[in-house]
Parts: sequence; structure tokens; C-alpha cells
Amino acid sequence: MEDLLRYFIKRLLLMIPVILGMTIIVFLILHLSPGDPVDLIVGPNVTPEVYASIRQKYGLDQPLIVQYIKFLSNVARGDLGTSILQQRPVSELILQRFPITLELGLTGLVLSFLIAIPVGVSAAVKRNTIMDYSCMTGAMLGMSLPTFWFGLLLLYFFAYKLRWFPISGYGTWRHLVLPGFAIGLTDAAITARMVRSSMLEVLRQDYIRTARSKGLAEMVVTYQHALKNAMIPIITLLGLRVGWIIGGSVMLEIVFSRPGLGRLMVDSILARDYPVVQGAMIVLTTSIILGNILADLLYAVFDPRIRYN
Amino acid sequence: MKWWCIKKAYLILVLLLILTVSLAGCAKPPQNSESSAQQAQKEDLQKQQPEKEKVLVLGYDRDAEILDTIKTAWYSDALIYIYDRLVSRDYDFKYKPGLAESWETSEDGLTWTFHLRKDVKFHDGKPFKAEDVKWTIDTIKNPDTGSPFRGDLEAIKEVIVKDDYTVDIVLNYPFPNLLFNLSNTAAGIQEKDVYTKYDDDYGTKVVIGTGPYKFKEWIKGDRIVLEKNPDYNWGPEWMSNRGPALIDKIVLRVIPDENARMMELETGGIHILRDVPETYLERLEKVPEITIYKGPATKLGYLAYPTDKKPFTDVRVRRAINYAINRDDIIQYVFRGIGQTAYGYLPPALKDEYLEESKDLAYKYDPEKAKQLLAEAGYPNGLKLTLSADNSSKSTKLAQVLQNQLKQVGIETDIRLYDSSSYTAMLKEGKQELFLREYSWPNADILDWFLLSSQFPYPNHSRWKDKTTDELIKKASRMPTWEERAQGYKDVQKYLIEQAVWCPIYVPEKIFAVRKEVLNFKFHPWMLMFNDGFDLKVE
Repeated sequence: MEDLLRYFIKRLLLMIPVILGMTIIVFLILHLSPGDPVDLIVGPNVTPEVYASIRQKYGLDQPLIVQYIKFLSNVARGDLGTSILQQRPVSELILQRFPITLELGLTGLVLSFLIAIPVGVSAAVKRNTIMDYSCMTGAMLGMSLPTFWFGLLLLYFFAYKLRWFPISGYGTWRHLVLPGFAIGLTDAAITARMVRSSMLEVLRQDYIRTARSKGLAEMVVTYQHALKNAMIPIITLLGLRVGWIIGGSVMLEIVFSRPGLGRLMVDSILARDYPVVQGAMIVLTTSIILGNILADLLYAVFDPRIRYN
Repeated sequence: MKWWCIKKAYLILVLLLILTVSLAGCAKPPQNSESSAQQAQKEDLQKQQPEKEKVLVLGYDRDAEILDTIKTAWYSDALIYIYDRLVSRDYDFKYKPGLAESWETSEDGLTWTFHLRKDVKFHDGKPFKAEDVKWTIDTIKNPDTGSPFRGDLEAIKEVIVKDDYTVDIVLNYPFPNLLFNLSNTAAGIQEKDVYTKYDDDYGTKVVIGTGPYKFKEWIKGDRIVLEKNPDYNWGPEWMSNRGPALIDKIVLRVIPDENARMMELETGGIHILRDVPETYLERLEKVPEITIYKGPATKLGYLAYPTDKKPFTDVRVRRAINYAINRDDIIQYVFRGIGQTAYGYLPPALKDEYLEESKDLAYKYDPEKAKQLLAEAGYPNGLKLTLSADNSSKSTKLAQVLQNQLKQVGIETDIRLYDSSSYTAMLKEGKQELFLREYSWPNADILDWFLLSSQFPYPNHSRWKDKTTDELIKKASRMPTWEERAQGYKDVQKYLIEQAVWCPIYVPEKIFAVRKEVLNFKFHPWMLMFNDGFDLKVE
């Protein structure tokens, strides 16, 4: 247990250089690309003094390196800065938006598992049958569809044509169904393939044969003995896919007009609202890394053979 | 047994999925009949709210930034509903009483006395008084506030409170356009000391005005909800409904995707959409629940060039470009025949200042003449230029048509597309050659913004530094009366046409798509008016 804690702390410390590197890249890309946030907040009929005073207020008149160091020292103190456009603390804006992205991501994740596990397991159990081939063809198809495009298809049929669900917006569970399925189905395609290969691996093991020879029902063997072990590598990869799922949610926020973090980022990039983009990137990167660490920890919990030392 | 149950549940789930996906492929859209989802939505709505509440939902492409007229440059419609202005503007752009019942100007045109309404209250119950007017204008004019509207009130020297309901605005120089500036969304009158009272929450969590709607809720990026101010007991004289608003609640929804906005309108998710793209018109006209309202917009689209750089320093080149453009074809192909060709620098909707004879004075399509002028200017073999535009679908299409038309007279162009921030940056740096612009503004002072040399290099992106223009504009804007000012701007336009400073191309139509549930909708060329002209039918 102590090893695990030490490992966890080590991983947390390793996050720092990664986030630092990310901030440098984001900072440079943003500040070196043409465009100026002040233009947008002041409009064209502005006096030079007002223009200069706003630039000064947000520190935009200082050299890049000074701006960056200031930004970093503020972040270290837990201050992500103030949005130039909305004139509110960045942390407040992110706190408003992040749960909306998370909600969609989690819905998608749960749906993807609900779909992927039975599909993957039955493909593995009925290996090389029609069942297997059709499941895997479906999975290939799902993997090659871009999430946003699939979202558009769902939106067109179920919201526009059939009018079962709202077209855009946010607030009720009904707003969550279509984008949730868009992520869930495309993600399920990847997961199902992993479940299948992992299951195939496990089904070959001796203990499965032992379980069968004990006279246990096939379902118990498959789901209790085999699946439990087959899930270990899938859970690890789950951590890696946190990033993928967040990315998918961000795209779908544009398609379904959900006011999540992705929309906030796109709007802020277009307006060159630097503090918001930087803040949002830090939050996204951190949650992706945390997802990975969590997966590694789960790995240790599930698989007693794994030791971190 | 346990495992069997789970397997069954999965099976049902998978089957349902397959079923729904395959259903989607063959299902036909229900026509006019309400789906169960819509019914459920309606029931939800009725549960939450007392019966027969009238809710109007409007769709926009962009959210507000901060709901404070003093601090924002992006004037969300919500600001029109929440705040009132001293002066109102009717459907013909005539200045009418607002929070000020009447006003008079001193003989030298330097002191304007406004008499205020005595029966108006702010949303927090405080009565509206002259000191609020003074506070609002002083705060805008204070450089520390950083108000984007500050420049527009430059003519104001000071605001003097005579008594609770009389206020003098003293000017530095005669400035008839004061009425326009005071009637703008930006000139909404705010309660004295709101910033000290509500601190940083003002504009996002608390918004106080005197208007017909009160701020209720703002879910950033999704919607702003306003509710009727029951104490609102007046209304500008030209409005048919004077008193509390007819609609109980206004929801301003943000739907950034153009296509999604259209679908929301068709399915009833929003009631009114303003600024409908011409390309969607054909589709929307086929929807029986939607009525289209069209009218001339106060917009103008033009092709411009840096007049301080070769070859655009030569008036012959500028004229040649003007002659090379076939505006009728552009209206036909880019705007599907909706809109007017532009020859002058102001749109016809500005009736007082529009120069009627601009069509006769301006350069009509004449490719031969264009070639001849280019040859005279020393470019018999034509020119190679870049043509910049923002990356909207309209500008892209327009740029392609222009590229083709310019080619006919020997001007080869290389199209460059930018997102709006980079576009502004590029223009500021002076890297432009040929470039596309469109302005949307209901006042002749737009010419001051774009063409005075004091505005160089931005927003004077055509880099026009010209003494005559400066004098003409200054003379026009400081005329003692509105009529003389209008005449002055006509002289400005004549001169601009003669100098071919821009190449004006089109005046688009303003298109509203309105659902049948909305009754008595009235077209307004500039904005939606809050408690006039539309009422919502409730079944």
C-alpha cells in the first residue's frame, strides 16, 4: 500500500513538467498567431487611450516572456486570470462549463461500456462465426466514423426528422441522449474490439478450463471468471481514452450547441481571449493525466500481480 | 440465473439500438403532427409555469459577453429589453421621446435640456432621476471605465443636473448626432452607483435597468432568460403597446451553428430568427409554419484597397476596379436576387442622408473602360493582386465571383481567407491589397469611422488620408441641425464616389423568419423591438 502511495505521489509530481510544457506551447501558439482580443472588446470606434489602458489592464503591453512568467506565477497561486472578453475570473467560467462537458463524457463512457461488453464478449465466445464477423465489421465501421459526423447523423434523424429529441441546447436528460450515443457508439467500437481480444486471451487460460470442468454454467464461466480478468487491460486503456472522450465531447458541443468547455474554448480561441484558452487547456490536460493515473491505480487494485516499486 | 438476467438486459438494449438506428433510415418525417417529444416538452413547461404563460424564444449565433451597456462592445438584444434610453427611434429612424419626455436645444446648439419622465422605476424599485443620467454618461466618459462607447460621447463636455427631472447636456461643439448616440443600445440608462452597489457581480449575476423586461437567469453559452417587468407603465409614443409587455418571458438562446438554428426554427425550438442567410430562404419559405419578413437593411458591402499604396494611389486604378465589377450578377448569383446593388457609400434605408443620385454619379459595369483606365495608369498588361476576405461562406463566394470579374479586365487575384481576428490584425498591419468588408450601422457617422484620417490605420483600413474628406465630414457632423447635417453627408458621398475610395457592391436585405405562433410581428430594419409589434399566440 505504501508503495502505491509513493508511486501515486511520483506520478502527480511528474504531471508538473507535462503541464508546464503544454502551457508553453499553448502560450506561444496563441500569442504568436495574429489577432488581438482588445479589438473585439472595444469595437472600431475607440480612442487610443482607452485601447492602451485596456491593453495595460490585461498586461498585454508587456513582453511575451514577462506575460508568461506572470501567468505561471498566478497559476501557481491558483489564479487562472480574468477573461478579457467576459470580464470574469477564468476559474469561474471553467467551473460553469466543465461539469457540462464531464456529464456528456461520462454518459458516453457508460453507454460505450454497456454496448461494448456484450458485443465484445459474444464475438469472443462465438469466435469465427457470423456473430463474430458482424460484430467486428460493425466495430470497424464505428471506429472509422468521426464522432461529430455521427452526431450530425443522429441529430438529423432523431431530432430534426423524428423530433424525438431537442436539436440543441442543454438542461434535461433528453438533451444528453443524442450526443451521449454519438460518443458512446463510436467509443464502443474501440472498446468492443479490445474486449474481444482480451477475452480470447483469457478464454485460453487453464483456470477457465478448470472452471468449466468443475461443471459451472457457461455464463458463469464467461462473465464471472473470464470477463473479470479480461477487463483489467481494458480498464487501463480506459484511462488513456479519457482524453479521447473529452475530445469527442468537445466536438459534439459544437454540433449540439452544448455550452461546455469545448464551446468555451472555441469561442475564446476565435476571440483570442488568451487567459480563458490557457486556463481551459490546463484543466483539460490535468484531467486527462489524472485519468491515466487513476487507471494505473485501478490496475494495481484489480490485478494482484501488479506491484509499483 | 443472475447472469441470464443481465444477458437479457443487454440483449434488449442492443436490439433497441439496432431497431432505433434502422427506424431512422426508413422513417418519414411527421408532417405538422406533434411528436411525443414535443408534447412532453410542452407538458414539462406547463408543469413549471402557471398556465398560459407566453414565452418567446429567439435564436442567436453569439452569446452576450457582459450584460452591461457601459462595458461591452457586443450589444446583445437582451440589453435593449432590460434598459431604456433617453431617446427612442421609431420604425423610420425618427427620434422620439424615451426616458426623456422632451428636449430642447439652446440657440448655439451647445446646451441640450432633457425633461425626464417622472413615473419610471428601476428594477430594484429605486425611482429613475436625473442623477442616474449624469452617472451613466460620466461613467462612460471616465477613461478608467474603459467603455467602448466613450468615443461616441466625445462631443459632451458635461452633464448638469438641474433638478430631479431635468438634465442639461453641454457640448464642446454643435453635434446633432447626439440624438442618435443617446438612442443607441449602448446609451441605456443605468442606476447611479451600480458598480459600488453590486461590485463585480454587476453585468453577470445582477443587471438593473428600467426596461420592460427584468433579468432573470443567464446560463452562459446557452441562454439568457428575461421576465416581464409588471411595473413598466409606459412605452415610447410610437409603440402600439404602451405599458407592461405582452409576452411574459423572453428566452435568448445561443445556437452557434447556422444549420442547427434553421432546424430549431423549423421544429419550433425558437420563434424568431433575424439575419437569415439568403441561401436558406428557399428552404424556409416552403415551411408552412414560418413567415418571412424582408426589408432593406442598414448594411453595405464593399471591396476596398489601401489607397496609400501603389497601384491604388492612382485614382484611375481605383475607378478601373469600380468599372470592372458587375454588381447585378453578384446580386443574382451570390445573393440569389435578394438585395440591391450599391453605388454610394450609405444604404438607402438611411433616408435622410442617402444620396439619391449616387446611381447616376457612380461607376457602372464597363469592362472596356476599366481596361482602358488601367492602360492609361500604366498597367496595359493588367495587375497581380491579393484579394482578402473573412472565411464566412458568403465572403468566400463573393471573393470567387469578384476574382472572376476582375480577371476579365486583366486583374489576376489570389484569394486569401482569414478568421475574423486574424483579418483585423492583417488590416491593422497594413498588409491588405484588395479586401472585402461589410458594415452594419444605422447612421451616417459610419463614414467618420472608416474614412477620417484620425482613424488611420484602423478602422480606416482603406488608409485614406485626405484633407478634403476630413473637412467635409467634420463640417457635416458639426452642423447645427439634423437636416443640414444630412445635406453635409451627401456632399461627403459625392466626393467619395468621385475619388472611388471604395468599390461599393451590395446592400443586403434584412431577413426575419418568424413562426406562425408569433402574431402581429412588425419588420424593423435595425432590431427587434421589445413590446411592440409582436405578441405570442397561446393555444
